[in-house]
Amino acid sequence: MARRISLVPPRKRPLVGPNGPRRGSLCGVLRGGVHFAVLLVLLGAVGCGSGGQPDKDGAENNATTPADGDGATDKPAEKLTVDGGTGATSPAPEKPVEPKTSGPFKLGNLVPPFEAPPLAEIDAKAEWVDMPVVDATVRLKEEYWKARPEPKPVAEALSARNVSPETNAMILDTLGRLPASEAAANWNASINRHTAADVKSTNPLLASSTIEFDVGGLIGFGLFSFDWLMRPFASSDAVVSWQTSKDRMYDKIVLRDDLTWSDGTPITAHDIEFSFLTIMSKEVPASAQRSGTDKLKYVKAYDDRTLVYFHQEALATNIWNVNFSVVPKHIYEKTIAADPTLQDSDEHVALERNPVTGGAYTITSRTRDQEIVLERRESYYMHNGKQVRDKPYFKQIRFKVMADSSVALLGVKTGDIDELQLTPDLWKTQTNGDDFYERNTKVYAVEWVEFHFLWNCSEPFFRDKRVRQALALAFDHEELIQSLRLGIDQPSSGMFNAASPWSPPNFNARFQKRDLEKAEELLEAADWVDHDGDGIRDRMVDGKSVKFEFSLQTSNRPDRIAICNLLKENLGQIGIEVNVRPLEFTVLSENMRTHAFQAAFGGWGTGTDPDTTENIFGTGKDRNYGNYSSPEVDRLYGLGRREFDFDKRLEIYRQIHRELYEDQAYMWLYYQNAYYAFNKDLRGYVFSPRGPFNYSPGFSGIWKASAQ
Amino acid sequence: MLNYIIRRLAIGSVTLLMITFVVYGLIRNMPGTPLTVDLAESSPDKQISAEELKRRAEIYGLDKPWYVAYWKWAGNVLQGNLGRSIQEKQPVMRVIMPRIGPTLLLSVTSLALSYLLAVPLGLYGSARSGRLDERTTSVFMFMLYSFPSFVAALLLLNLFYVKLDGTLFHLKPGMVSDNYPQLTMGGKVLDVFKHSILPVFCYTYGSLAYYSRFVKANMEEVIRQDYMRTARAKGLSPLTVLVKHGFRNTMIPFVTMLGLTLPGLLSGSVILEEIFSWPGMGRLFFSAITTRDYEVIMTEILIYTLMTLAGQLVADILYAFVDPRVTYS
Repeated sequence: MARRISLVPPRKRPLVGPNGPRRGSLCGVLRGGVHFAVLLVLLGAVGCGSGGQPDKDGAENNATTPADGDGATDKPAEKLTVDGGTGATSPAPEKPVEPKTSGPFKLGNLVPPFEAPPLAEIDAKAEWVDMPVVDATVRLKEEYWKARPEPKPVAEALSARNVSPETNAMILDTLGRLPASEAAANWNASINRHTAADVKSTNPLLASSTIEFDVGGLIGFGLFSFDWLMRPFASSDAVVSWQTSKDRMYDKIVLRDDLTWSDGTPITAHDIEFSFLTIMSKEVPASAQRSGTDKLKYVKAYDDRTLVYFHQEALATNIWNVNFSVVPKHIYEKTIAADPTLQDSDEHVALERNPVTGGAYTITSRTRDQEIVLERRESYYMHNGKQVRDKPYFKQIRFKVMADSSVALLGVKTGDIDELQLTPDLWKTQTNGDDFYERNTKVYAVEWVEFHFLWNCSEPFFRDKRVRQALALAFDHEELIQSLRLGIDQPSSGMFNAASPWSPPNFNARFQKRDLEKAEELLEAADWVDHDGDGIRDRMVDGKSVKFEFSLQTSNRPDRIAICNLLKENLGQIGIEVNVRPLEFTVLSENMRTHAFQAAFGGWGTGTDPDTTENIFGTGKDRNYGNYSSPEVDRLYGLGRREFDFDKRLEIYRQIHRELYEDQAYMWLYYQNAYYAFNKDLRGYVFSPRGPFNYSPGFSGIWKASAQ
Repeated sequence: MLNYIIRRLAIGSVTLLMITFVVYGLIRNMPGTPLTVDLAESSPDKQISAEELKRRAEIYGLDKPWYVAYWKWAGNVLQGNLGRSIQEKQPVMRVIMPRIGPTLLLSVTSLALSYLLAVPLGLYGSARSGRLDERTTSVFMFMLYSFPSFVAALLLLNLFYVKLDGTLFHLKPGMVSDNYPQLTMGGKVLDVFKHSILPVFCYTYGSLAYYSRFVKANMEEVIRQDYMRTARAKGLSPLTVLVKHGFRNTMIPFVTMLGLTLPGLLSGSVILEEIFSWPGMGRLFFSAITTRDYEVIMTEILIYTLMTLAGQLVADILYAFVDPRVTYS
């Protein structure tokens, strides 16, 4: 039986800078641009410098290094435990802010009027097709582990130093296993997890940052999830059956009858309908949950266990829209009208402190910006005295907030923290000695977070695909991987990772091999020639001579600036001038969003469905920052979304992959590995394209070995 | 005096208005909005739609020009409503209030320690001016002043957190231990005390060096005055001469300095708070700026501005007490 860990697709990374030091790391702090400097000068003028050492911190703050998408926002959440003597204060009661709405609150006011037909009518016409209801742990055992080589002795893996891909694979294959027997696991174990930022809200509907989705996955209730290959399914922990209509316009779910909230009230289909309507209420600040959910026509509970999702359109992607967080109706139906913010009223403040949860864990204490502690919930796996679901491995999970990754690493070395995502720099320089290996081991795996140079195709330089191809041929990809990416990051050869089924098999990434001669030929064919003999290519654009000189925006982190400088150096050799412009993350994001750039360095995390990239490469789409446009690609995306045959759909996205690569919509560079430190007592970590936690079973497959 | 205070308060109000107006204009004109950050960090699977963005911009008042939004903000502030944090989705005061205690714990302790130690050190320096021990102390103080606090913080953590693990001197980052809720009241106080030793040290040493040099420099000037020679000629003890006749006459710049440190009490320190995982105002302010959380930035600016103005006013009033020649009547 599988435990669901992350029924909501975790909000993962980023946009322009995934997976670097978490926001809030020392690196992350040393950022800020011109505007921040102006503000500091102003503050200095009014005497608001740091109290302790007025000049030093201010000077540091003027240094700029970017944040990245990871870690989301590093802002405080309310302190929920009153710490007498700590100097911390409990939140002052605040007058609830009036919701900005006219008239009384109406639940689900964003849902167009809809009259759900009787269930019998739907059953009569639907021609139901069974969909997978899966125990994620069983699937992991039967599909993943059966295909892996035999493990080495645990002692060998624990004593190994991770210095080669072979050792890395051996450690993962040995320590990543599920417990061989009940006795192998320590069922009373606690785990101290690291987080760079605190949880802002414990209400799953308001979750928007990585840590909130991490905590939400443990305490929240949901029906759907996906496995390490990002295949969607309904979790057998919550669902008896899942059927979809032949025309893909309805999904029917039958819930289990042994589900309860932490206050003992049964979890029913009505909770899910209520949650849908809550998310679709204008005044409820559930923007992250609303995306996808807003593609549903309605969600109707026909009885306590039967639920039908009504779709607006028959799409292959509908399967992802049914996935949203659920809150207890019996609690919130009494309070939401008075306070649709779900945060302000006394009742909601109390619920934030002590939420009624539907997941495997419940919150027992929380100290703002310090820690959040979860306890295993017996009523999750026991029902009427019988065990009905797998018992979660950890008795207690403690998320410790440590903004600085270097300090968090010290915590790992002293055994205070059991797991930590490492930056490449920490992996390379701080985790090789006895002080680290005494208590820990480390592993890495490819995470499908790719980085690229992004061309603004509206600019005269990048309109012609021959130019974009030439730039890729001029870039030294080998140097990038070997010198700037530790030699172990994987090169990126297009939109989908080579291990993904959506990527064409045996794909020839022909622009990855440096060929200056060919690059120059292509540039000349596109009429970029050094006509005036000044060493820089030029051509006539709209009647004017334009030099091939462009600015390259990047977030202000040394590793990224180094990559941009490599491009500058490489293109300088073929008569193209690049000006590298490091910027604060938010400024960079805004410039990209508004297309106010010529070229930029960026990155994307992977979506669970290939269609999520349509938003990036579709003509005029929201994330198409480079204004790339290809009628053929647009057409293929339209086909892919409406194709229900898996193999045919595969071929469509593979073709999109080829088209985009041939067009060099981006210059794809590399995937940054997920680097992790784990305490030697931990077992069961298996990496998905989204890291070791955010899939099913993900974190709930991780366990601590018993003393035996 | 009362007239003076009223006049100063009136001028202060205008200053406050101008500062908040300018800062509001600046932050609203920084590229990016709170929604930029949300968009940048949203899941590839759950992209926020353009329609939803527009709806949120309206709800947060981001669709209005900054000068219109400013007056709305100022009007709300006058009515006691400081607004909502866009990122935290809750009232600003509820975001800021829990930060004040931890911030003051560090800053007040550090300020008190700096002053308590800086005055005797400064006096000692001026009494022993030019001698080997004073020179040695001076060099040491300059070294301390120049040594970046974040480097010291990391080195100290490496020593006390990692190397001394298992000993009596083991100190951890964070404000409290894991078992804090189970401790007795005395245990809790001791726990917070232990956690604050390293941050307070890092907070203090630079300013201690600065203030002690400040006291010494002022004393150097006073010590050459005729009345000092007179006092010594009267046969007063060196300590009385130094403290009563000398130090009292350096109080004016000292009081000015005290007035200027008032806003610093609440501003916190971004880097030290990051390193020591301390839930202070510095981190909040910094993250509010990077995420363009306008209402939080403005509330903090309002607090700092008010404290700056109050600090200057208090310093001006104190002049009358420390220097009988100053009068506001």
